[in-house]
Amino acid sequence: MIEHVWLVPLLPLAASLVILFFGREGEHSKMPYLGIAAIGAGLWISLRIIFDAALGRAVLPYEADWTWYSFAADLGGRPFIFDMRAGVLIDGAAAVMLAVVCLVSLLVQVYSLGYMHGDPRFKRYYAYLSFFTASMLGLVVSNNLIVVFAAWELVGVSSYLLIGFWFEKEAPPYAAKKAFITTKLGDLGFFLALLLTFAYAGTYNLTRLKELVGMGYLPPLALTLIGLGLLSGAAGKSAQAPLFIWLPDAMEGPTPVSALIHAATMVAAGIYLVARCYFVFLASPFAMEAVAWTGLVTAFLAGTMALVPYDIKRVLAFSTVSQLGFMMAALGVGGYTAGLFHLTTHAFFKALLFLCAGSVIHAVHTNDMRSMGGLSKRMPLTFTTMAIGSAALAGIPPFAGFFSKDMILEKVFEHSPAMFALLVLTACLTAFYTFRMLFMTFLGEARDRERVAHAEESGSAMTVPLLILAGLAVVSGWLLQHGHAFASFVGSGAAEAGAHAAETAGSGAHGLNPMVLAVGMTAAAMALIALAYSLYGGPDQSRAGRLKERFLPVFNLLENRWGFDAFFLALVDAADRLAELCRWADTEVIDKIFVDGWGLLTRIAAEISHLFDALFVDQAVDGCGWLSRDVAGRGLRSLVARGQVQEYLLYLAVGVSLFAILR
Amino acid sequence: MELPILSLITFIPLVGALVVLCLPKDNRRAIEAVALAAAAVPFLLTAWLYFAFDRTTAAMQFVERHAWISTTAVSIDYYLGVDGLSAPLVILTTLMSLIALIASLGIKERFKEYCFWFLILEVGMLGVFESLDFFLFYVFWEITLVPMYFLIGIWGGPQKEYAAIKFFLYTLAGSVFMLLGILAMYFKAEPHTFDMLALMKIHGGLSFRFQVLAFLAFYFGFAIKVPAFPFHTWLPLAHVEAPTPVSVILAAVLLKMGVYGIMRVNYPMLPLGFEWFLPFLVLIAVVNIVYGAHCAMAQNDMKKMVAYSSINHMGYCLLAIAGVSATGFSGAAFQMVNHGIITGALFLLVGVIYDRAHTRDIGAFGGLAAKVPVYAGLMSLSCFASLGLPGMAGFVSEFLCFLGAFPRWKIHTAVSVLGIIITAAFFLRMLEKVFLGPLNKKWEGLPDMNLRELITIAPLALLMIALGIWPRWCLDMMNATMVDLAGLFR
Amino acid sequence: MTLTLAHYLALGAGLFVIGIFGALTRRSVIGILMSIELMFNAANINLAAFNRFLHPEGVTGQAFALFIMTVAAAEVVVGLALVLAIYRRWDKVYMEKIDILRG
Repeated sequence: MIEHVWLVPLLPLAASLVILFFGREGEHSKMPYLGIAAIGAGLWISLRIIFDAALGRAVLPYEADWTWYSFAADLGGRPFIFDMRAGVLIDGAAAVMLAVVCLVSLLVQVYSLGYMHGDPRFKRYYAYLSFFTASMLGLVVSNNLIVVFAAWELVGVSSYLLIGFWFEKEAPPYAAKKAFITTKLGDLGFFLALLLTFAYAGTYNLTRLKELVGMGYLPPLALTLIGLGLLSGAAGKSAQAPLFIWLPDAMEGPTPVSALIHAATMVAAGIYLVARCYFVFLASPFAMEAVAWTGLVTAFLAGTMALVPYDIKRVLAFSTVSQLGFMMAALGVGGYTAGLFHLTTHAFFKALLFLCAGSVIHAVHTNDMRSMGGLSKRMPLTFTTMAIGSAALAGIPPFAGFFSKDMILEKVFEHSPAMFALLVLTACLTAFYTFRMLFMTFLGEARDRERVAHAEESGSAMTVPLLILAGLAVVSGWLLQHGHAFASFVGSGAAEAGAHAAETAGSGAHGLNPMVLAVGMTAAAMALIALAYSLYGGPDQSRAGRLKERFLPVFNLLENRWGFDAFFLALVDAADRLAELCRWADTEVIDKIFVDGWGLLTRIAAEISHLFDALFVDQAVDGCGWLSRDVAGRGLRSLVARGQVQEYLLYLAVGVSLFAILR
Repeated sequence: MELPILSLITFIPLVGALVVLCLPKDNRRAIEAVALAAAAVPFLLTAWLYFAFDRTTAAMQFVERHAWISTTAVSIDYYLGVDGLSAPLVILTTLMSLIALIASLGIKERFKEYCFWFLILEVGMLGVFESLDFFLFYVFWEITLVPMYFLIGIWGGPQKEYAAIKFFLYTLAGSVFMLLGILAMYFKAEPHTFDMLALMKIHGGLSFRFQVLAFLAFYFGFAIKVPAFPFHTWLPLAHVEAPTPVSVILAAVLLKMGVYGIMRVNYPMLPLGFEWFLPFLVLIAVVNIVYGAHCAMAQNDMKKMVAYSSINHMGYCLLAIAGVSATGFSGAAFQMVNHGIITGALFLLVGVIYDRAHTRDIGAFGGLAAKVPVYAGLMSLSCFASLGLPGMAGFVSEFLCFLGAFPRWKIHTAVSVLGIIITAAFFLRMLEKVFLGPLNKKWEGLPDMNLRELITIAPLALLMIALGIWPRWCLDMMNATMVDLAGLFR
Repeated sequence: MTLTLAHYLALGAGLFVIGIFGALTRRSVIGILMSIELMFNAANINLAAFNRFLHPEGVTGQAFALFIMTVAAAEVVVGLALVLAIYRRWDKVYMEKIDILRG
């Protein structure tokens, strides 16, 4: 089955093209089922791969590639024709990622049948969604960094299209543009990393690259720069500090899109990229440390920012950023398995949370939690599943998040206790804001009676995916943790990471008793949930208001996202001013100098020529006339020119005779 | 006897032009038929050429050589041939000419003269890419100027006379310097010759001083055409004033003559001068890229924005050439083709909206995507292609350009990469302001694209995607030549 | 006595001198025209003679003489027309009276 893995990205791609160009647009279009079928087939293949590999029927890593195109290149001073090969490379991480992407995409597409029903661009939505899935899967399977980058950008475009899906409104197009440009800013680093890779390694094949790095073929500085470049790309895509500003705005897209792209898959692409190119980071301690700190800072900042929004999706968005920070930090301290493990569990429970939020929004037609409250009775199923998701996110055993988060914390503690402290604080914040959201939405009094009274539980197309994801959020952590199944499956990369971790651990830090950690974290989370309940769970929320009054400056700072948005807006503004300056310079200076100046120079030269002509050349002619007329005077003229033809003839004859004689 | 395929390609438009001239001007159908045939037949011939082209050799192919002006004092040959550098450009030229001519069918005034000048222009452009004799090259080079002057000056916008004369004089000034260079090369060669291939072999005997001077003379002629900073300011004006199909030709083919000249003349003939100029060339390239993109960002006129984006894109070509590597040359050559296709499509698309709304002001629209979905889709596609989205043609060539320049000019390339994001910024801003957001009520009745417009733009859109997914179709033609070119001085 | 080239040349020279004398001294325009005619014929004699004695195989000299006769005829036509015009305009044919180019 593994030899058919190339079909996994191509099936949704084909589906997307067919839907876009051949499907009929309409509210009751049947085209979505095509997309669902394609991704279903993809899921089947990827699950088969996992089972085959687990049962030993297939060997990982599996690689196959084909020549894509050739171009003239010159490495080592001699020009030759370089074959760019593209293909698939499936290792444990890729296999897991494939299954996760396919599964979440499938569930989200099913869910969207209910959520997007009746939208005038129903068909196009599915075309975009399939296209996104195809590019994401392409990113996952590809063995060539260029193809990874290409898929990476296509993922960005699908995100652009989907965020701006409701383009008739003001905000979505702006958010889409912001997302695209911000991630593109990060991609510049990725781009430079690609240039460096080719200049120093002369290949884009990941396996080959790994060999070369392993042999120490690349200079350390180049490796560090490549690592930082990749990190920059990952920071853009995975919304890491300081490029996370686009993700909260991206919530303008339809909620299932947020679940699929901005929670479970696309934002995980950055983490996946770092994991995929882990050998680069392992070879460069500085880049590794940068990854860890980026993740840490992001996790903390986003965790604080998630405390204040009233928009249910924004809370989730900030929480996503924060969790991605956890994963990044895990990778940065050598926790390859921990990072990917959290990626997997997070994909399930965060998609679940978003889809629950979508279900709520679908029912009450607003994102604002201040207009909700008391929804638990009206939407029991949604409430239950969302509570499961929240518990998973908050790290309550036995839900999935608990296992993966603990694994990360252990790793971080081995690396640096200071980092660990910050991360523990962030984990506590997570518990608080998650349940603040849950309580504000579902418990207490209905604050907007009109809306809440009309809220109804969503249809089965939406609730079935919720139940499946909730099930996964319950069991996935325990299942994968059990007997280190995940760690052993993710495989070779983990082995190296383990070696690295052992190395750093050996250098001073002492281990942490997992039981102490688990109990302590659970207790802390419980305490904060209780606090959240006391503030937001009851009918009376005036205490939360008073708290806000007291710490208003802090609230404002958090609402302004620590000033990052303002910083980037200032950057954009500066670019605009520079552009304006360039335009002015172009028409007023460059054009004047190099074209008009040119013309002016010619004109001046022409004037000089003209003056010379008038003053010297013409005057010489006039002078001759003047000489004959006024100097020689009338006498000479009347003497010679008497009008007698025969006299002239005589002069001629004499002249000719003279010539003849004097010859 | 072998078929003189290149001569046929070049002179069928000329025959067509003369036939058009003989037709009565009221018989529009006949004029259209003849002109289209005169553009379509060369295109079909180049399609045949595409398949017959030998991709394994760097040598000139389909060579035709006859004595033309042959006295004891001078010998000038009628000498044509194509290699991996020029063959794709010849194909691009016939394709874009055909498409631009179809787009010209909407021209109302003085259609007969228009077709005549247009076909003459095609002759000149094809000749420039095919000729291997400097004299012939110069003749064709100048032939392109005159029709362009009339095409802008008669069928252009409000400032057409000024734009036309500016274009004409400026590029003529450049070609005068080029003529000086040609003559210098001619007299320096022993025996005196205009044969370009022979002139590529004499650089060993040329002094550094001579090479620098000759380089500057040629560079000057070509840089104005590229257009390279600071000689680029004729371009936005000419583009804005020219009628849509002429803008297409101007961007898609005429600009390529400059880069082609640098790759065909400056680099192989004057290596020392080239080497000396490299630090300046790379700076100019960076300025073209970053500054051009910034200028584009500040424009409110869509056409002007696309024009400045051309300056930015040609900067990639210059950067790639400055890398002096096989990768860079491939990138530059491929970028020329892709820029031709993509920017051609963009100009056509801007023309579509201008025909309907009579304005190109970005701020005047809003929310059009709901009204004209096909147009919005094609425009977005072209914009994404132009900003270098992977999967589209622009990405592969831009990437090769950067890849080729990077080993030699690390900092410069790193700075140039900024151009990518600025390009993305202004294209997305344009898309947002024109197509997204609430619909501007003024354009409630805006019709979507008609069949003629679709016929002109759809093939280009397909090519953008096809060359992005499968760049072999173009790169394989170039590879052998580029390897040879990069290996010239190793 | 055989006729040599010198004889012919002498004849031509004589004829030419007569012509030039006439052209310089005759008062009547018609006389001047006739004198010019004499000079042409002197040249013709030279041409024919040179042809006969120096390049007997060719006919270039004789052909030239024929050309000169034609040109002379044309010249006389124009000259007489001018004379007629002058006579009608000013009613005179004497050269010393016609001095409109006097400076």
